Amino acid sequence: MKEKLLQSYCTLDHDGCVVCSDAGISVRVVSVEGDDALCEDSAGNQARIAVELVAPVRAGEVLLTHGGVAIGRVEEDS
Amino acid sequence: MKYVKEFRNAELARAVAAEIATLAEPGRHYKIMEVCGGHTHTIYRHGIKDLLPDQIELVHGPGCPVCVLPMGRVDEGIDIAERPEVIFTCFGDMMRVPGSRGNLLEIKAQGADVRMVYSPLDALRLARENPDRQVVFYAIGFETTAPSTALTLQRAKKEGIENFSVFCNHVTIVPPVRALLDSPDLRLDAFIGPGHVSTIIGCRPYEFMPADYGKPCVVAGFEPLDILQSILMIMHQLAEGRCEVENQYARVVPWEGNLAALRSMAEVFELRPYFEWRGLGFIAQSALKISPAYSYFDAELRYSTPGVRVADPKACQCGEVLKGVLKPHECRVFGTACTPEHPLGALMVSSEGACAAYFNFGRRAKEKVGATE
Repeated sequence: MKEKLLQSYCTLDHDGCVVCSDAGISVRVVSVEGDDALCEDSAGNQARIAVELVAPVRAGEVLLTHGGVAIGRVEEDS
Repeated sequence: MKYVKEFRNAELARAVAAEIATLAEPGRHYKIMEVCGGHTHTIYRHGIKDLLPDQIELVHGPGCPVCVLPMGRVDEGIDIAERPEVIFTCFGDMMRVPGSRGNLLEIKAQGADVRMVYSPLDALRLARENPDRQVVFYAIGFETTAPSTALTLQRAKKEGIENFSVFCNHVTIVPPVRALLDSPDLRLDAFIGPGHVSTIIGCRPYEFMPADYGKPCVVAGFEPLDILQSILMIMHQLAEGRCEVENQYARVVPWEGNLAALRSMAEVFELRPYFEWRGLGFIAQSALKISPAYSYFDAELRYSTPGVRVADPKACQCGEVLKGVLKPHECRVFGTACTPEHPLGALMVSSEGACAAYFNFGRRAKEKVGATE
Protein backbone atom coordinates (compact mmCIF):
# COMPACT_ATOMS: atom_id res chain seq x y z
CA MET A 1 0.00 0.00 0.00
CA LYS A 2 2.88 2.36 0.75
CA GLU A 3 4.00 2.03 -2.88
CA LYS A 4 0.70 3.56 -3.94
CA LEU A 5 1.21 6.47 -1.56
CA LEU A 6 4.57 7.17 -3.19
CA GLN A 7 2.93 7.71 -6.58
CA SER A 8 3.28 11.37 -7.57
CA TYR A 9 3.93 13.24 -10.74
CA CYS A 10 7.28 14.47 -9.52
CA THR A 11 10.37 12.59 -8.49
CA LEU A 12 13.52 13.80 -6.79
CA ASP A 13 15.34 14.13 -10.12
CA HIS A 14 12.45 15.78 -11.99
CA ASP A 15 13.47 19.40 -12.22
CA GLY A 16 10.23 20.71 -13.70
CA CYS A 17 8.22 21.05 -10.56
CA VAL A 18 10.79 20.42 -7.83
CA VAL A 19 11.99 23.94 -8.38
CA CYS A 20 8.76 25.76 -8.61
CA SER A 21 5.17 26.17 -7.70
CA ASP A 22 2.95 24.09 -5.54
CA ALA A 23 4.01 20.54 -6.36
CA GLY A 24 5.64 18.38 -3.72
CA ILE A 25 7.22 14.95 -3.95
CA SER A 26 6.21 11.84 -2.04
CA VAL A 27 9.19 10.00 -0.53
CA ARG A 28 9.70 7.12 1.88
CA VAL A 29 11.98 7.55 4.89
CA VAL A 30 14.92 5.14 4.67
CA SER A 31 16.73 6.25 7.83
CA VAL A 32 16.65 9.18 10.23
CA GLU A 33 19.86 11.14 10.96
CA GLY A 34 19.17 13.88 13.55
CA ASP A 35 17.11 16.68 11.94
CA ASP A 36 17.51 15.09 8.51
CA ALA A 37 16.40 11.82 6.97
CA LEU A 38 17.61 9.82 4.01
CA CYS A 39 14.53 9.47 1.79
CA GLU A 40 13.72 7.61 -1.43
CA ASP A 41 11.16 8.43 -4.12
CA SER A 42 9.15 6.03 -6.31
CA ALA A 43 11.93 5.97 -8.92
CA GLY A 44 14.55 4.95 -6.35
CA ASN A 45 16.28 8.36 -6.21
CA GLN A 46 17.59 9.16 -2.74
CA ALA A 47 18.11 12.52 -1.06
CA ARG A 48 18.79 13.93 2.36
CA ILE A 49 15.64 15.76 3.54
CA ALA A 50 15.17 18.10 6.54
CA VAL A 51 12.40 16.70 8.71
CA GLU A 52 12.06 19.17 11.64
CA LEU A 53 8.70 20.43 10.39
CA VAL A 54 7.09 16.98 10.56
CA ALA A 55 9.06 15.49 13.47
CA PRO A 56 9.15 12.88 14.83
CA VAL A 57 9.51 10.60 11.81
CA ARG A 58 10.31 6.90 11.55
CA ALA A 59 11.82 4.75 8.81
CA GLY A 60 9.13 3.52 6.41
CA GLU A 61 6.84 6.56 6.74
CA VAL A 62 5.81 8.41 3.57
CA LEU A 63 6.43 12.16 3.59
CA LEU A 64 5.63 15.03 1.24
CA THR A 65 8.75 17.06 0.50
CA HIS A 66 9.36 20.36 -1.25
CA GLY A 67 12.63 22.22 -1.68
CA GLY A 68 14.54 19.65 0.34
CA VAL A 69 12.26 19.96 3.36
CA ALA A 70 9.47 17.61 4.48
CA ILE A 71 6.26 19.62 4.77
CA GLY A 72 3.68 16.91 5.42
CA ARG A 73 2.82 13.25 5.74
CA VAL A 74 1.03 11.10 3.19
CA GLU A 75 -1.64 9.00 4.88
CA GLU A 76 -4.08 6.33 3.79
CA ASP A 77 -7.42 7.71 2.57
CA SER A 78 -10.09 7.44 5.20
CA MET B 1 -17.39 10.37 0.32
CA LYS B 2 -14.74 7.71 -0.27
CA TYR B 3 -11.75 8.79 -2.33
CA VAL B 4 -10.35 7.09 -5.41
CA LYS B 5 -7.18 5.11 -4.73
CA GLU B 6 -5.98 4.22 -8.20
CA PHE B 7 -5.02 7.72 -9.21
CA ARG B 8 -4.47 7.03 -12.91
CA ASN B 9 -6.99 4.27 -13.60
CA ALA B 10 -8.59 5.05 -16.97
CA GLU B 11 -11.77 3.08 -16.26
CA LEU B 12 -12.33 4.93 -13.00
CA ALA B 13 -11.59 8.22 -14.73
CA ARG B 14 -14.24 7.56 -17.37
CA ALA B 15 -16.75 6.60 -14.66
CA VAL B 16 -16.09 9.81 -12.71
CA ALA B 17 -16.30 11.88 -15.92
CA ALA B 18 -19.63 10.24 -16.77
CA GLU B 19 -20.98 11.11 -13.31
CA ILE B 20 -19.79 14.70 -13.76
CA ALA B 21 -21.69 14.86 -17.06
CA THR B 22 -24.93 13.68 -15.41
CA LEU B 23 -24.68 16.53 -12.89
CA ALA B 24 -24.22 19.24 -15.52
CA GLU B 25 -27.46 21.16 -15.95
CA PRO B 26 -28.45 21.45 -19.65
CA GLY B 27 -27.82 24.92 -21.03
CA ARG B 28 -25.68 26.04 -18.08
CA HIS B 29 -22.03 27.00 -18.56
CA TYR B 30 -19.71 26.18 -15.66
CA LYS B 31 -16.48 28.08 -15.11
CA ILE B 32 -14.13 26.45 -12.60
CA MET B 33 -10.71 27.92 -11.79
CA GLU B 34 -7.78 25.69 -10.87
CA VAL B 35 -5.73 28.05 -8.72
CA CYS B 36 -2.53 26.06 -8.84
CA GLY B 37 -0.09 25.76 -11.74
CA GLY B 38 0.54 22.12 -10.84
CA HIS B 39 -3.14 21.41 -11.51
CA THR B 40 -2.91 23.19 -14.87
CA HIS B 41 0.01 20.94 -15.75
CA THR B 42 -1.94 17.77 -14.81
CA ILE B 43 -5.05 18.90 -16.71
CA TYR B 44 -3.12 19.35 -19.97
CA ARG B 45 -0.73 16.46 -19.54
CA HIS B 46 -3.53 13.94 -19.02
CA GLY B 47 -6.10 15.45 -21.38
CA ILE B 48 -8.65 15.98 -18.63
CA LYS B 49 -10.43 18.70 -20.60
CA ASP B 50 -11.33 16.15 -23.28
CA LEU B 51 -13.11 13.98 -20.70
CA LEU B 52 -15.39 16.78 -19.53
CA PRO B 53 -18.59 18.03 -21.14
CA ASP B 54 -18.06 21.16 -23.28
CA GLN B 55 -20.15 23.21 -20.86
CA ILE B 56 -17.50 22.82 -18.12
CA GLU B 57 -14.69 25.30 -18.68
CA LEU B 58 -11.48 25.11 -16.67
CA VAL B 59 -9.83 28.49 -16.12
CA HIS B 60 -6.17 28.70 -15.13
CA GLY B 61 -5.37 30.71 -12.05
CA PRO B 62 -2.39 32.67 -10.76
CA GLY B 63 -0.78 29.79 -8.89
CA CYS B 64 2.60 29.64 -10.59
CA PRO B 65 5.07 31.72 -8.58
CA VAL B 66 7.51 32.14 -11.47
CA CYS B 67 4.69 33.37 -13.70
CA VAL B 68 3.42 36.02 -11.32
CA LEU B 69 6.84 37.52 -10.55
CA PRO B 70 7.08 41.05 -11.97
CA MET B 71 9.96 41.92 -14.23
CA GLY B 72 11.43 44.45 -11.78
CA ARG B 73 12.09 41.69 -9.24
CA VAL B 74 13.85 39.61 -11.91
CA ASP B 75 16.05 42.59 -12.79
CA GLU B 76 16.95 43.14 -9.14
CA GLY B 77 17.97 39.50 -8.78
CA ILE B 78 20.18 39.88 -11.84
CA ASP B 79 21.77 43.04 -10.35
CA ILE B 80 22.74 41.08 -7.23
CA ALA B 81 23.96 38.10 -9.28
CA GLU B 82 26.32 40.31 -11.28
CA ARG B 83 28.26 41.38 -8.19
CA PRO B 84 31.72 39.75 -8.30
CA GLU B 85 31.68 38.60 -4.68
CA VAL B 86 28.34 36.81 -5.02
CA ILE B 87 27.44 33.18 -5.67
CA PHE B 88 23.81 33.56 -6.74
CA THR B 89 21.62 30.48 -6.25
CA CYS B 90 18.10 29.83 -7.46
CA PHE B 91 15.63 27.14 -8.48
CA GLY B 92 15.95 25.96 -12.09
CA ASP B 93 12.89 27.64 -13.56
CA MET B 94 14.11 31.05 -12.42
CA MET B 95 17.19 30.77 -14.65
CA ARG B 96 15.17 31.40 -17.82
CA VAL B 97 12.64 33.98 -16.60
CA PRO B 98 13.17 37.06 -18.75
CA GLY B 99 14.02 40.37 -17.12
CA SER B 100 14.16 43.61 -19.06
CA ARG B 101 17.80 42.96 -20.04
CA GLY B 102 18.10 39.19 -20.25
CA ASN B 103 17.86 36.29 -17.84
CA LEU B 104 20.09 34.60 -15.27
CA LEU B 105 21.32 31.99 -17.73
CA GLU B 106 22.59 34.74 -20.03
CA ILE B 107 24.48 36.58 -17.31
CA LYS B 108 25.91 33.23 -16.17
CA ALA B 109 27.23 32.83 -19.73
CA GLN B 110 28.78 36.28 -19.39
CA GLY B 111 30.69 35.22 -16.26
CA ALA B 112 28.35 35.72 -13.30
CA ASP B 113 28.47 32.90 -10.73
CA VAL B 114 24.88 31.68 -10.92
CA ARG B 115 24.10 28.17 -9.68
CA MET B 116 20.92 26.12 -9.73
CA VAL B 117 19.93 24.42 -6.48
CA TYR B 118 17.08 22.08 -5.54
CA SER B 119 16.80 23.39 -2.00
CA PRO B 120 17.75 26.55 -0.08
CA LEU B 121 19.63 24.15 2.21
CA ASP B 122 21.95 23.46 -0.74
CA ALA B 123 22.59 27.21 -0.97
CA LEU B 124 23.41 27.28 2.75
CA ARG B 125 25.85 24.39 2.22
CA LEU B 126 27.56 26.45 -0.51
CA ALA B 127 27.93 29.30 1.99
CA ARG B 128 29.61 26.95 4.47
CA GLU B 129 31.96 25.68 1.75
CA ASN B 130 32.82 29.17 0.42
CA PRO B 131 33.44 31.39 3.46
CA ASP B 132 35.19 34.04 1.33
CA ARG B 133 32.17 34.50 -0.96
CA GLN B 134 28.65 35.86 -0.39
CA VAL B 135 25.98 33.28 -1.18
CA VAL B 136 22.53 34.66 -2.04
CA PHE B 137 19.43 32.49 -2.47
CA TYR B 138 16.62 33.75 -4.73
CA ALA B 139 13.57 32.66 -2.72
CA ILE B 140 10.38 32.24 -4.69
CA GLY B 141 7.17 30.34 -4.19
CA PHE B 142 3.89 30.17 -2.30
CA GLU B 143 3.36 28.77 1.18
CA THR B 144 4.50 25.36 -0.10
CA THR B 145 8.06 26.65 -0.57
CA ALA B 146 8.29 29.34 2.11
CA PRO B 147 8.83 26.83 4.97
CA SER B 148 12.01 25.52 3.33
CA THR B 149 13.39 29.08 3.20
CA ALA B 150 12.31 29.71 6.80
CA LEU B 151 13.95 26.53 8.03
CA THR B 152 17.14 27.35 6.12
CA LEU B 153 17.36 30.81 7.72
CA GLN B 154 16.75 29.32 11.17
CA ARG B 155 19.65 26.93 10.58
CA ALA B 156 21.85 29.77 9.22
CA LYS B 157 21.19 31.87 12.32
CA LYS B 158 21.75 28.95 14.69
CA GLU B 159 25.07 28.15 13.00
CA GLY B 160 26.09 31.83 12.77
CA ILE B 161 26.74 31.70 9.01
CA GLU B 162 27.45 35.29 8.03
CA ASN B 163 28.02 35.01 4.27
CA PHE B 164 24.49 33.89 3.44
CA SER B 165 21.41 35.95 2.55
CA VAL B 166 18.01 35.54 0.90
CA PHE B 167 16.35 37.70 -1.76
CA CYS B 168 12.80 37.04 -0.65
CA ASN B 169 9.99 36.85 -3.24
CA HIS B 170 7.63 34.50 -1.43
CA VAL B 171 3.96 35.18 -2.03
CA THR B 172 0.71 34.08 -0.40
CA ILE B 173 -2.24 32.49 -2.15
CA VAL B 174 -5.34 33.98 -0.56
CA PRO B 175 -4.96 37.71 -1.45
CA PRO B 176 -4.65 37.17 -5.25
CA VAL B 177 -7.66 34.84 -5.23
CA ARG B 178 -9.63 37.50 -3.39
CA ALA B 179 -8.42 40.07 -5.95
CA LEU B 180 -9.65 37.82 -8.76
CA LEU B 181 -13.03 37.44 -7.07
CA ASP B 182 -13.26 41.23 -6.81
CA SER B 183 -12.35 41.63 -10.50
CA PRO B 184 -15.26 42.52 -12.78
CA ASP B 185 -13.50 40.74 -15.71
CA LEU B 186 -14.22 37.26 -14.53
CA ARG B 187 -17.31 35.28 -13.51
CA LEU B 188 -16.41 32.01 -11.81
CA ASP B 189 -18.60 29.26 -10.36
CA ALA B 190 -16.09 27.48 -8.15
CA PHE B 191 -12.44 26.86 -7.32
CA ILE B 192 -10.15 23.84 -7.28
CA GLY B 193 -7.98 24.72 -4.29
CA PRO B 194 -4.19 24.24 -4.28
CA GLY B 195 -3.12 20.92 -2.79
CA HIS B 196 0.34 21.42 -1.43
CA VAL B 197 -0.06 25.03 -0.33
CA SER B 198 -2.89 23.65 1.79
CA THR B 199 -0.55 21.11 3.38
CA ILE B 200 0.93 24.17 5.10
CA ILE B 201 -2.01 26.56 5.56
CA GLY B 202 -4.80 23.97 5.83
CA CYS B 203 -8.32 24.44 4.45
CA ARG B 204 -9.65 27.08 6.82
CA PRO B 205 -8.17 30.11 4.93
CA TYR B 206 -10.47 29.34 1.97
CA GLU B 207 -13.66 29.72 4.00
CA PHE B 208 -14.05 33.29 2.73
CA MET B 209 -14.83 31.93 -0.75
CA PRO B 210 -18.18 30.38 0.19
CA ALA B 211 -18.81 32.82 3.07
CA ASP B 212 -18.10 36.14 1.30
CA TYR B 213 -18.49 35.27 -2.40
CA GLY B 214 -20.78 32.22 -2.51
CA LYS B 215 -18.19 30.09 -4.37
CA PRO B 216 -17.44 26.46 -3.49
CA CYS B 217 -13.80 25.42 -3.12
CA VAL B 218 -12.48 21.85 -3.19
CA VAL B 219 -8.81 21.36 -2.25
CA ALA B 220 -7.40 18.78 -4.67
CA GLY B 221 -4.39 16.55 -5.27
CA PHE B 222 -2.31 16.40 -8.43
CA GLU B 223 -3.13 13.07 -10.02
CA PRO B 224 -5.67 13.04 -12.86
CA LEU B 225 -8.26 11.26 -10.75
CA ASP B 226 -7.71 13.77 -7.95
CA ILE B 227 -8.66 16.56 -10.36
CA LEU B 228 -11.68 14.69 -11.73
CA GLN B 229 -12.82 13.78 -8.22
CA SER B 230 -12.58 17.42 -7.12
CA ILE B 231 -14.63 18.55 -10.14
CA LEU B 232 -17.22 15.91 -9.26
CA MET B 233 -17.35 17.22 -5.67
CA ILE B 234 -17.81 20.76 -6.99
CA MET B 235 -20.58 19.64 -9.34
CA HIS B 236 -22.32 17.86 -6.44
CA GLN B 237 -22.17 21.07 -4.39
CA LEU B 238 -23.58 23.15 -7.25
CA ALA B 239 -26.32 20.60 -8.03
CA GLU B 240 -27.33 20.28 -4.38
CA GLY B 241 -27.20 24.02 -3.70
CA ARG B 242 -24.38 23.59 -1.19
CA CYS B 243 -21.47 26.02 -0.97
CA GLU B 244 -18.55 25.06 1.25
CA VAL B 245 -14.85 24.18 1.45
CA GLU B 246 -14.17 20.48 0.99
CA ASN B 247 -10.93 18.52 1.10
CA GLN B 248 -10.48 15.95 -1.68
CA TYR B 249 -6.79 15.57 -0.79
CA ALA B 250 -7.20 14.35 2.78
CA ARG B 251 -4.39 11.82 2.38
CA VAL B 252 -1.95 14.75 2.43
CA VAL B 253 -3.78 17.92 3.58
CA PRO B 254 -4.70 18.23 7.27
CA TRP B 255 -7.64 20.62 7.77
CA GLU B 256 -5.54 22.79 10.13
CA GLY B 257 -2.34 22.67 8.04
CA ASN B 258 1.18 22.15 9.38
CA LEU B 259 1.48 24.14 12.60
CA ALA B 260 5.25 23.60 12.95
CA ALA B 261 5.79 25.05 9.46
CA LEU B 262 3.48 27.99 10.18
CA ARG B 263 5.39 28.72 13.41
CA SER B 264 8.69 28.62 11.54
CA MET B 265 7.35 31.02 8.86
CA ALA B 266 5.92 33.36 11.52
CA GLU B 267 9.35 33.63 13.15
CA VAL B 268 11.29 34.30 9.95
CA PHE B 269 8.85 36.30 7.79
CA GLU B 270 6.39 39.14 8.06
CA LEU B 271 3.77 40.35 5.57
CA ARG B 272 4.74 43.08 3.12
CA PRO B 273 2.25 45.97 3.06
CA TYR B 274 1.87 45.38 -0.69
CA PHE B 275 3.56 43.49 -3.53
CA GLU B 276 3.33 43.69 -7.31
CA TRP B 277 1.91 40.66 -9.18
CA ARG B 278 2.35 40.28 -12.90
CA GLY B 279 -1.03 40.89 -14.50
CA LEU B 280 -2.78 41.61 -11.23
CA GLY B 281 -0.94 44.77 -10.13
CA PHE B 282 -0.25 45.64 -6.51
CA ILE B 283 -2.05 43.50 -3.93
CA ALA B 284 -2.04 44.35 -0.22
CA GLN B 285 -0.40 41.89 2.20
CA SER B 286 0.17 39.34 -0.55
CA ALA B 287 3.87 38.61 -0.05
CA LEU B 288 6.44 37.89 2.63
CA LYS B 289 9.55 39.78 3.64
CA ILE B 290 12.21 38.78 6.10
CA SER B 291 11.36 39.76 9.68
CA PRO B 292 13.50 42.16 11.76
CA ALA B 293 14.80 39.21 13.82
CA TYR B 294 16.41 37.82 10.64
CA SER B 295 17.17 41.11 8.86
CA TYR B 296 20.90 40.29 8.85
CA PHE B 297 20.09 37.66 6.20
CA ASP B 298 17.92 39.97 4.05
CA ALA B 299 19.58 40.47 0.65
CA GLU B 300 17.28 43.41 -0.06
CA LEU B 301 18.90 45.27 2.82
CA ARG B 302 22.41 43.90 2.29
CA TYR B 303 22.47 45.03 -1.34
CA SER B 304 20.02 47.98 -1.10
CA THR B 305 17.80 46.84 -3.98
CA PRO B 306 15.94 49.88 -5.30
CA GLY B 307 12.47 48.33 -5.87
CA VAL B 308 12.12 49.65 -9.42
CA ARG B 309 8.95 48.80 -11.36
CA VAL B 310 9.51 47.53 -14.92
CA ALA B 311 6.66 47.19 -17.43
CA ASP B 312 6.11 43.92 -19.33
CA PRO B 313 6.83 43.82 -23.08
CA LYS B 314 3.88 45.34 -24.95
CA ALA B 315 3.20 42.24 -27.05
CA CYS B 316 2.99 40.02 -23.96
CA GLN B 317 -0.53 39.30 -22.63
CA CYS B 318 0.50 37.21 -19.61
CA GLY B 319 -1.65 39.41 -17.38
CA GLU B 320 -4.90 38.61 -19.18
CA VAL B 321 -4.02 34.89 -19.24
CA LEU B 322 -3.18 34.96 -15.52
CA LYS B 323 -6.56 36.48 -14.75
CA GLY B 324 -8.28 33.83 -16.87
CA VAL B 325 -9.64 36.49 -19.25
CA LEU B 326 -7.70 35.04 -22.22
CA LYS B 327 -6.88 31.41 -22.98
CA PRO B 328 -3.15 30.90 -23.66
CA HIS B 329 -3.60 30.42 -27.42
CA GLU B 330 -5.60 33.66 -27.61
CA CYS B 331 -2.48 35.68 -26.71
CA ARG B 332 -1.22 37.48 -29.81
CA VAL B 333 2.32 36.06 -29.53
CA PHE B 334 1.50 32.51 -28.33
CA GLY B 335 3.46 29.89 -30.28
CA THR B 336 4.97 32.47 -32.63
CA ALA B 337 7.16 35.10 -30.97
CA CYS B 338 6.71 33.35 -27.57
CA THR B 339 7.60 29.65 -27.24
CA PRO B 340 9.16 27.54 -24.45
CA GLU B 341 12.53 27.81 -26.28
CA HIS B 342 12.26 31.61 -26.53
CA PRO B 343 9.77 32.81 -23.90
CA LEU B 344 8.66 36.44 -23.95
CA GLY B 345 6.45 36.06 -20.91
CA ALA B 346 6.94 34.10 -17.70
CA LEU B 347 3.88 31.91 -18.37
CA MET B 348 5.83 30.25 -21.16
CA VAL B 349 8.90 29.58 -18.99
CA SER B 350 7.81 27.39 -16.11
CA SER B 351 6.44 23.90 -16.69
CA GLU B 352 3.65 25.01 -14.33
CA GLY B 353 2.87 28.03 -16.50
CA ALA B 354 -0.43 27.89 -18.36
CA CYS B 355 1.13 28.84 -21.71
CA ALA B 356 3.94 26.26 -21.50
CA ALA B 357 1.47 23.55 -20.46
CA TYR B 358 -0.86 24.54 -23.28
CA PHE B 359 1.99 24.65 -25.80
CA ASN B 360 3.39 21.26 -24.77
CA PHE B 361 0.16 19.32 -24.27
CA GLY B 362 -2.77 21.31 -25.58
CA ARG B 363 -2.20 21.99 -29.24
CA ARG B 364 -4.41 19.16 -30.46
CA ALA B 365 -7.24 20.44 -28.27
CA LYS B 366 -6.79 23.90 -29.75
CA GLU B 367 -6.89 22.50 -33.28
CA LYS B 368 -10.02 20.52 -32.45
CA VAL B 369 -11.70 23.70 -31.20
CA GLY B 370 -10.54 25.55 -34.29
CA ALA B 371 -11.86 22.83 -36.59
CA THR B 372 -15.36 22.95 -35.14
CA GLU B 373 -15.66 26.71 -35.17
